This record gives sequence, structure tokens and C-alpha cells, in this order.
Amino acid sequence: MADDARKKEILEKLKNGVIQYDEDACKEGAQEAVDGGLDANEAIFDGLVAGMEEVGRLFEAQEYFVPEILMCADALYAGLDILKPHCQQMDLGLKGSVVIGTVEGDVHDIGKNLVKMMFDVAGFTVYDLGRDVPLDQFVEEQLRTDSDLVCLSAMMTTSMIGMPKIIEKIKAKNPNCMIMIGGAPTSKELADKWGADGYAEDASNALKEAIKMVSFLRKLREEKAAKK
Amino acid sequence: MGKAAVAVRTFSAASLKELLAREGATLVGVGDITEGLSREITHLNRGIALAVNRSLNRDTVDLLVRLERIAVKWLKERGFRSLAIPPDSDRINDKLIAKLYHLFSHKTAATCSGLGWIGKNGLIINETYGSKLSWATVLTDAPIEPDRPLTESQCGDCTLCVKHCPSGAVSGQSWSRGEPLKRLVNYEKCRSLKKVRPRFEEKPNCGLCITICPFSRNGHKQG
Ligand code: B12
Ligand code: B12
Ligand code: SF4
Ligand code: SF4
Repeated sequence: MADDARKKEILEKLKNGVIQYDEDACKEGAQEAVDGGLDANEAIFDGLVAGMEEVGRLFEAQEYFVPEILMCADALYAGLDILKPHCQQMDLGLKGSVVIGTVEGDVHDIGKNLVKMMFDVAGFTVYDLGRDVPLDQFVEEQLRTDSDLVCLSAMMTTSMIGMPKIIEKIKAKNPNCMIMIGGAPTSKELADKWGADGYAEDASNALKEAIKMVSFLRKLREEKAAKK
Repeated sequence: MGKAAVAVRTFSAASLKELLAREGATLVGVGDITEGLSREITHLNRGIALAVNRSLNRDTVDLLVRLERIAVKWLKERGFRSLAIPPDSDRINDKLIAKLYHLFSHKTAATCSGLGWIGKNGLIINETYGSKLSWATVLTDAPIEPDRPLTESQCGDCTLCVKHCPSGAVSGQSWSRGEPLKRLVNYEKCRSLKKVRPRFEEKPNCGLCITICPFSRNGHKQG
């Protein structure tokens, strides 16, 4: 394990690499993290994602515009490609299946991809529908795969309004499936209001929530089976 | 950052041009490209046009990309934004930023920086090298003093490329910046040649409109 000063230096490099849309710096930083034995998850979230958060602020302050944001995202992905294979596979004794995607009208998929990555690391089976996913496709994919969970991501107030429609349809067809929502404009309150079973504000909490939900589902099924 | 409030003072990019020339650029120019920009990139209103006198193969692409990186680094060190459009912009699809590449043509930066006009053959013609050049562009918000643009064709009465194009794609009209809708080259016809002449398979196309051009032949002689 690298010493603290070195670790801080690497995290800064990853963060600034994203902010400065410098793919090479992100790749270098990621490789240094791997070679230095840094926890890959930490490098991703405290390095790359921390940078993207700052980019979000720069965008809002109109310091950055669409081209810069796209280049920042490319830099983030360049680092992610190197770090992802080094994420510690976690054995949480429980593996669920999940359908995930960004809802119709919304192309923001960085957050969704991070949530997906956490599921991958935990050994979940993930059916990724991508971004700008037609609402009905979530319903169809859930029925096709009989997944435990459906995870909906939205980053815009204009696109998140599709969520309650999906939730309603899935619940009507398959009441045993659980739904979690997330993305910057969403909240615990909205999740409750729309009848979603869960909400998380970031990727690691998304996994924790998912584990809770899946174990609840399993228990329910066991109880049902016991009654028969 | 926070520089928006400061009055914009233009500065010379002579040292950047020298640096790029040392690193292998044949031509470097800076154009005011304000007129040629679509909404997403209006803040990047200078185009640094880069050219090397080589045909567009893998090594040429690598060289141009290396030059673009040098320019980007130079600009970032001075606190400016930049967007490098690679020479083979149409072939890159594994990046998010690639979706914006089509918003800008290397030809626009070249004419705006006075490094060439658009010939009857639809290509950038430089006085010395003709169209025997491969191009790349770095867009930036650095208020660099722009070079003088070329706005009219200098082809004159020459019609060599019109006569010799095997697909009859070159219409023979003269380019003028004020008349952007003129269709100089019928690209469908140009493309169709590639299908019937398989020996161009590995090349973008026959390129006769380059070799036939008197300006290109000058360039060839000079090296
Ligand atoms: C990057 C970005 C883009 C990129 C997207 C690239 C990509 N492939 O994703 C590009 C440039 C394409 C883009 C385009 C646009 N964008 Co934009 N964009 C952003 C930006 C700067 C950052 C988003 C991001 O990636 N954050 C980093 C990630 C890691 O965080 P995250 O997404 O929040 O994800 C975390 C959590 O939310 C959570 N999470 C996410 N999903 C899920 C799902 C579940 C189930 C769970 C549990 C948790 C969870 O976990 C994640 C990881 O911890 C935000 C600003 C901001 N401050 O958020 C604006 C922002 C989202 N965009 C905005 C807008 C308006 C647009 C455009 C309309 C702009 C335009 N004029 O072109 C277009 C819209 C295109 C479309 N139809 O979708 C607005 C939305 C405003 C609104 N209406 O609500 C924002 C908020 C900026 C602003 N303040 O104006 N954008
Ligand atoms: C797609 C493409 C093709 C396609 C279609 C051609 C086309 N539509 O231009 C095909 C396959 C047919 C093709 C063929 C060739 N291509 Co080609 N191609 C491109 C590519 C990738 C994109 C061009 C494009 O679509 N631009 C969008 C349109 C709207 O713009 P445009 O026509 O290019 O440019 C116009 C504006 O710039 C405008 N303009 C000029 N000044 C100004 C100023 C202002 C203020 C404004 C508003 C506008 C403006 O006038 C121009 C002409 O109408 C470029 C690389 C690039 N990213 O630019 C290479 C590029 C244009 N091709 C190139 C070459 C060399 C060729 C070929 C000779 C094949 C070869 N050996 O590589 C043939 C020649 C055919 C011909 N006579 O033009 C070179 C040209 C070099 C030069 N000296 O000009 C380029 C620049 C590649 C490079 N990096 O060097 N090509
Ligand atoms: S590349 Fe060949 S076919 Fe195309 S315009 Fe030039 S001469 Fe004609
Ligand atoms: S061959 Fe003649 S007409 Fe054609 S581009 Fe060259 S100078 Fe212009």
C-alpha cells in the first residue's frame, strides 16, 4: 500500500486529469494507482469521479461548455478502463440480477455506468440497456430476464418524469420485482412518491441498497415456499 | 479561469508557430473562424491550422496528432481551452467527443488562416504546396491575433482538375467564401469511382485532382 502522500498525489492527478480533460494524465494516474497498490475503487471515486463533480460545477458556472464536458468524460473513461479490472471482486454471499439503464430522453450515462460497475464487482448479473432507453424497454427486459431489480437513472428534471410511468408498468406486470432509482435530480422523497422500492445517492450506496433489497426478496420467496 | 471579466487582449502566437515548425509542421496558421462555428463550439473561435506535406497515411496521422497535442499543451499551460480535431476525424468513433468532430472542417481553418483557398477540386490549395498537404485543426478560445484570411479562389482560368477527373465529379465553379452553397465537387461521383476501381481500395480515392494541379506540382518539386 502506497504511503499517504503518494496516495494523495495520485488521487489529485486523476482528479485534475478529468478536470483538465487530459486523457494521458488519467491513464498515467490510473496506472500509478494500480502499480502503487491503491484500492481501485478509491481511485475511481475519490479521484476520477471527484474530478467529474468539479466539472459539473464548472459547467454550471459556464466556465465549461459541451465540448469540454465530453472531453472530461473521455478522460474519465480512459482512467476507468485501466482501473476497472482491478476492482476487488467482493463476495457478499448474495448475488442478484439487475436490469439497468438511463431513461428515455437522457444521454447522461456516466453515473449509471458507475452504478453498473459496482454491481459487476459484486458479482451481480447485469443487463445494461444503455442510455436514452424507451420506457417500455425496461418493462420488456425485466419480464424477459425475470431480474430481481430494475435500476433507473436520470440526470435531468425533464427526463426523470418518465420514471413513475415505468415503475407503474413494471409493478402491474410483476409485483415481485423491486425498483431503485437514482441520478442527481431524484431523491428519497421522489422515490417514495413514485412507488419505487429504493433510492441511493451514489454508486456505493446503490450497491448497499440493492443487497438489502435482494435479501428481502429472497426472504420473501423462502417464506412463500415454506408456507406451501 | 475567471478570465472572462478581463478585457480581451489579443496576443501573437509566433512562439507557438515556431515550436510547431521545429516539431515537423510544414505550415501553421491561426484563423478567426467565428463565422464558421455551430452553436456548441462558439466559444472556440480561433482555429490553429496545421499542415504537413505528406499524404494522409498512418504515420502522417500520428505526426499531426502529435503536433496537435503540443499545441493543446501550450494553450492549456496559458489557461486556454482547446479542442483538437484529428486529421482522420471521420474514422474515430470510440470517443464521446468524436460526435462533435463533424461540426468543423479543416478547410475552414485553412482558408481563415490564409494558408490556402478552396480550389475547383474542392480541396485546400496552398500557393506553394498545392493540395499535397494533410491537415489538422486545434480550436481554441485563446484570443490569438489571427492571420489574414483568403476569401476567393486563385485558380483563375485553369481547368485541369475538371478535365482530368475520371469520375467527372469536379464541376468547374470557383470557390468564394461569400458563396458557401456552391457545389464544387459531386462527392457521390467521386466516391463511386472507388467502387469500380478496386486498386484504390486501400486509399481514400484516386487523388488525381491533387496530382494534376499545377500548384501541387510546384510543391512536389520543392520537396
Ligand atoms: C457530463 C454532463 C453531460 C454530458 C454527458 C456525457 C455522458 N455520456 O454522460 C453531455 C455533454 C453529453 C451532456 C449533455 C447535456 N446536458 Co448535461 N451534464 C453533465 C454534467 C456536467 C455531469 C454529469 C455527470 O456525469 N456527473 C458525474 C456522475 C459520476 O455523477 P451522477 O451522474 O450524478 O451519478 C451518481 C449519482 O447520481 C448516482 N446515480 C446515477 N444514476 C443512478 C441510478 C441509480 C439506480 C442509483 C441508485 C444511483 C444513481 O450514482 C452516481 C455515481 O456515484 C451535469 C452537471 C452536474 N452537476 O451533474 C450536467 C447536467 C446533468 N446536464 C444538463 C443539461 C441541461 C444537458 C443538455 C440539455 C445540455 C445541452 N444544452 O446540450 C444535454 C442533454 C442531452 C440529453 N438529452 O440528455 C443539466 C440538467 C438540468 C435539468 N434539466 O435537470 C445539468 C444538471 C447541468 C446544468 N446544471 O445545467 N451533459
Ligand atoms: C468526408 C471526407 C471525404 C468524403 C466526402 C468529401 C467531403 N464532403 O468533403 C470523400 C470520401 C468523398 C473524400 C474524398 C477525398 N478527400 Co476527404 N475528407 C473528408 C473529411 C473527413 C470530412 C470533410 C467534410 O465532410 N466536411 C464538412 C463539409 C461541410 O465541409 P467541407 O466541404 O470539407 O469544407 C467546406 C468549408 O470548409 C467551406 N469553407 C471554406 N472556408 C470557409 C470559411 C468560412 C468562414 C466558412 C463558414 C466556410 C468555409 O468550404 C469548404 C468547401 O466547400 C475531411 C477531414 C475533415 N475533418 O475535414 C477529409 C479531407 C477534406 N479530405 C482530404 C482528401 C485529401 C481527400 C481525397 C483527395 C482523397 C484522399 N486521397 O485522401 C478525396 C478528394 C475529393 C475531392 N476532390 O474533394 C483532405 C483534404 C486536404 C486538402 N488539401 O484539401 C482532408 C482535409 C483530410 C485531411 N486531414 O487532410 N473526403
Ligand atoms: S479523387 Fe479522383 S474521382 Fe475524386 S474528385 Fe479527385 S480526381 Fe475526381
Ligand atoms: S487544377 Fe487548376 S482548377 Fe483545379 S484546383 Fe488546381 S489550380 Fe484550381
